[in-house]
Amino acid sequence: MDLPNSSASSNSAPATSEASGRFAQRSAAEWLTFVVASVILLVLVGLILFDWQTNQNRPPAFAVAVSEAVRVTDGRYYVPFAITNTGGRIARMVQVTAELHSAGADDETGEQQIDFLSGHETKAGSFVFTHDPQGGDLVVRVASYRLP
Amino acid sequence: MGQPIDSVGDQATPNPWLAEFQAILQGAAGGFLFGIPLLYTVEVWAIGEATSPRWLLLVLATTLVVVGLLTQVEGFRQTLTLQPLEVFLESIEAVAIGVVCATLALVLLRRITLDTPLAEGLGKVVFEAVPFALGVALARSTLQGNRGRDRRTTAPLSRRLVSPTLANLRDALVDFDAALIGAVLIAFSIAPTEEVPLLAAALPPLWLLLIMAASLGLSYAIVFASGFTDRTERRQRGLVFSPMTETLVAYLVALLASVTMLVLFQQLNPSDPWPEWLRDVLVLGLPASIGGAAGRILI
Repeated sequence: MDLPNSSASSNSAPATSEASGRFAQRSAAEWLTFVVASVILLVLVGLILFDWQTNQNRPPAFAVAVSEAVRVTDGRYYVPFAITNTGGRIARMVQVTAELHSAGADDETGEQQIDFLSGHETKAGSFVFTHDPQGGDLVVRVASYRLP
Repeated sequence: MGQPIDSVGDQATPNPWLAEFQAILQGAAGGFLFGIPLLYTVEVWAIGEATSPRWLLLVLATTLVVVGLLTQVEGFRQTLTLQPLEVFLESIEAVAIGVVCATLALVLLRRITLDTPLAEGLGKVVFEAVPFALGVALARSTLQGNRGRDRRTTAPLSRRLVSPTLANLRDALVDFDAALIGAVLIAFSIAPTEEVPLLAAALPPLWLLLIMAASLGLSYAIVFASGFTDRTERRQRGLVFSPMTETLVAYLVALLASVTMLVLFQQLNPSDPWPEWLRDVLVLGLPASIGGAAGRILI
């Protein structure tokens, strides 16, 4: 798209040519802004469409990884975990529960609620127990979630 | 078609690149002024994260339409006369500036990091870009005080609107345009919050009538009774409606803006029962009508 250059008005800057067409006052700088702006918006729309195509028909699914690197502080056992949404769509209020069954002691439970977990997103946290999880049977699982 | 550049107070022809740079900076500044409140609103991030791509495109399109309406009378460049196509181009530029500013702000506040999944980041950017883009489209008048007070005129698409009988109607429409801008300005940062359904749920049924009366009364009081604005000047501007009618119509405009904002922020779904729609819209209509009244005075 060119600027309407009228040969008669050669004294003023060519960018502000006073053509009475559809673009009365567009300078080259303004056209540059427009091109950059359009590119930005097209990229944004393209990314949205890409996400629509790739992710939106895959429901949430979860993978919970419990770390072996248990930290002991003041007689308590901190067990790090990481939860990943391996599906495409976002899940809300993801509830992660941990149950520790140790021989000769009461069962211990922990609960964790994660507000938002997008597709392919990983969030991490820790469960805290008073008994050594290595000496017992630790089960960490996702109990429930909500769709947005 | 008037002078080529209507910038106020410039004697020499300014460097067009410098002028454009200044216009973009001014647009960005206006965007930040208007966008910051929603940037610090947790509901907007949450809504953005959880929104489907189809809805994001709809939000972008709606933003473009509203920014287009604003650009007809405000805009971020100094130009005071525009062709319809130029309004469209400037709207696209305003939305893009809004998107860039919103992204930068979200990155600065670490709402978007390298670990953020694509869908989540897109949702946040699109929703936060809405107030930024509106701020960009209002930049000329908000940042320049009295110098920017002059309205833009857009060449009409059809000749029919120029006839003198319809000129009054056009002035009235401009007035409601101002009401719409003011309503959006105030109510936009309230619409996504949880306070709206919270307040609405606690209202006894007949209390809604009181809210409506308060909205109308405040709107009327702000514009006409407080003497903020010169009545004779308003008459000269060719008001075709009586003050009462104008207040009523401005309230309807505010309610319409409230519905649109609540739907855009997914506070209201078609599956919600209609009494909930009614309550939420009337509750948000109160700040919206106050904003609308302020808009009709200030803009």
